[in-house]
Amino acid sequence: MKALLKRGMTTLTLLLMIAVFAGCASEGTTQGANEENNSQSNGQVGDYPEKPIQVIVPAGAGGDTDANARLLGKYLEEELGQSVVISNVTGAGGTVGAREVLDADADGYTVLFFHNSLLLNRILGLVDFSYDSFKLAGIPVLDHGNTFVVSGDSPFEDLQDLIDYAREHPGEVSIATEVGGFTHLQLLALEQDQDIELNIVDVGGASDKVAALLGGHIDIIPTSLGLVKDYIESGEMRTLGIMSRERVDIMSDVPTFTEQGVNSSFEKFFFYGFHPDTPDEIVETFSQAVERVVQTEEYVAEAEEFLVTPTFMSPEKAFEYIQETEDYYIELSEE
Amino acid sequence: MLELFVEGLSAVLNVKSILLILSGVALGLIFGSIPGLTATMGMAIVLPMTFGMSPMEGMALLMGLYIGGISGGMVPAILLKLPGTPSSIATTFDGYPMAQKGQAGQAFGYAIVFSFLGGLLSIVILMLLAPPLAQVALQFGPYEYFAVTVFALTMISSLAGDSLVKGMLSGLLGMTMALVGSAPIDAFPRFTFGYDALDAGFNLLPVLIGLFAVSEMIRVSEQKIGQGQSVRHTMKGFGFTLRDFFKQGRNWFRSSLFGTGIGILPGIGAGTANIIAYVTAKNKSKHPQEFGKGTPDGVVASESANNAAVGGALVPLISLGIPGDTVTALLLGGLMIHGLTPGPLLFENNGDIVYGIFIALIIANFAMIAFLYWGMRWFTRVLSIPQYILLPVILVLCVVGAIGVNNRIFDAGALLFFGLLGYIMIKFRFPIAPVILGFILGPLLETNLRRGLMYSQGDFTPFFTEPIAATFLALALISVVVKVSNIFRNKNKSGPKGINTGV
Repeated sequence: MKALLKRGMTTLTLLLMIAVFAGCASEGTTQGANEENNSQSNGQVGDYPEKPIQVIVPAGAGGDTDANARLLGKYLEEELGQSVVISNVTGAGGTVGAREVLDADADGYTVLFFHNSLLLNRILGLVDFSYDSFKLAGIPVLDHGNTFVVSGDSPFEDLQDLIDYAREHPGEVSIATEVGGFTHLQLLALEQDQDIELNIVDVGGASDKVAALLGGHIDIIPTSLGLVKDYIESGEMRTLGIMSRERVDIMSDVPTFTEQGVNSSFEKFFFYGFHPDTPDEIVETFSQAVERVVQTEEYVAEAEEFLVTPTFMSPEKAFEYIQETEDYYIELSEE
Repeated sequence: MLELFVEGLSAVLNVKSILLILSGVALGLIFGSIPGLTATMGMAIVLPMTFGMSPMEGMALLMGLYIGGISGGMVPAILLKLPGTPSSIATTFDGYPMAQKGQAGQAFGYAIVFSFLGGLLSIVILMLLAPPLAQVALQFGPYEYFAVTVFALTMISSLAGDSLVKGMLSGLLGMTMALVGSAPIDAFPRFTFGYDALDAGFNLLPVLIGLFAVSEMIRVSEQKIGQGQSVRHTMKGFGFTLRDFFKQGRNWFRSSLFGTGIGILPGIGAGTANIIAYVTAKNKSKHPQEFGKGTPDGVVASESANNAAVGGALVPLISLGIPGDTVTALLLGGLMIHGLTPGPLLFENNGDIVYGIFIALIIANFAMIAFLYWGMRWFTRVLSIPQYILLPVILVLCVVGAIGVNNRIFDAGALLFFGLLGYIMIKFRFPIAPVILGFILGPLLETNLRRGLMYSQGDFTPFFTEPIAATFLALALISVVVKVSNIFRNKNKSGPKGINTGV
């Protein structure tokens, strides 16, 4: 009996140790690089980073926010010499994850990676914090490919077809969104600009939208071009244009909304934000690492595969840029 | 296709890939079998390690982890009545009573073999039928999901234990708990009482482990602490004869098809597949009174279904790029990092990788059966650890797991809350399984009802006129009528009661 007990305990302990080991393995891989980094930047910024950095992504795994965070994280690991762990903290339109960064220690080891929806959360009155509640570490990447997509056999060839039809048949064209999200604002802007009425239906996140369009449940989905480029290539879907101000090099054959007479332009930006009490030196170190990543050719090449545009904006510039965007959103939502 | 199959074979059949599959399965089994650690967590930890590998090697590791993670859940389910993951809830119903009767070895034997066979059947279906099945899944819009969810909720009647009223109250309690937090669709906070941490609502894992595991620990601690059973592993093979094996044929086939079918529908997944397969096996059985008391049939149904759900969940992922659950969502991320976009062109552009994935899954299934067969003589010995050592260790693991879901301390508190709730329910003889079913299905019901009404602009008729939706609603109605008429017929007899899942 005693021997048996001992064996059982040993097995259990072993299992535990393996589990712990599995958790640490990702840290171990970058240790070598870490030592090197430490010897270079001796002491000035308290040797930040000394341990893995957790990037909070307030969106589910597999979407475009997650994909961008992971791709940047892969290169940031090399620059910072520490592992960069992506945590998906979902819920309540991204506010749960954002709040978690505000609740974390201001030591620079928990950082938020998010996009435009954060602004909307406050504009819509769901939370009382926004981009200015964080210490921004800059914008690494923009997505100009915000687009409306229809199924390949849809009667709408371009945006004008859609607008003409919707004007004659108010409320008949169904278009997908997540209520209160970034795409919702795009739809409201289009309705206002063209004075049309669409049937706005919540169908869920990025992949739910694709499924709803493929299944013929919905007429139009607003999404990112990078997420549906294969479907467009295979002819199962067609884009009605992108919402950037001007045409974009990596998708030069896609017309903009403005060209088609619709006065609304949106671009999605992704940003890093720290707890507001984080020391400036730490944010600075991180921000510089991000800048170096964005200048890396391999990163740029990989990011362009997703049809996003690596564009570094310093913390100050990012703040101004986001502030302007917020003013525009407030204007839109008040009308 | 044969050509692609050979290409896939040659991509996977090398020492490195096979070693990666084996380590993936081993790691997955550990994550699946430790209460509180899930396949999703394992996947999240391992995913960054695959960035440096070739796409095929990365996928080999992840597929091993997926199979291992889903299969490992059986270990605590059978030994400790503790569903390691939602996909092994129904395994506890009969696996644990079998272990209590001293048949833990046999329970493992059945669970392992039929996990393997269920998984294999679903992989074959995936290989042969993925694109057409994905097209069927696309036909399911909000009306159809709503109807399927209503149908699934009628399963509560078969899980209710000795009082249908208590069963329904439990189900409603689960649905109520799911109401806390941001509403689906418009994210309006409900029942949060201004407390920010409740904005996201309760996570499934703390609810599940709290209700099933923590409640059980509190209950056990009431009694004089036992010394642990002395378990001797004298079993030969898998502990059942060839005749027993063939007796399970129909049950296996039906449960695997259920598992695959439900796995294909994004959002419903393995968590409900095992319960639905279990209830169906019970209703079809010639001796339903044995369910819940330790019949191998129940273990076979649950374990066939949850492993079959793996192949099902990969159908929409590989052919459409649509993830059905959290694990496949992470897999999608892993594929995208390697520049492979799941969708219509994946078969065309990367056929070798797709077939490589299929073959990796098959190898992972063989690795799973080998590891578990070797391991079961060790697992059963966990029962010989005195409970005053075992239970605290497990409680710690549960707390760690609860925090690990979203890295929030709040979830540890939620775990204890649901532990107490479960304990009170046990004391008043309320069944627990319906709470979980209500908790999982309630939000699906609400979301799809509201979405459907947005599509139809407030009109309820499409819920009854769309053919698939109407069929499932009719099935739901029939199942309620049959149940009620059975109750009336059995009123005077002291006939078979429902399974006692409340203990």
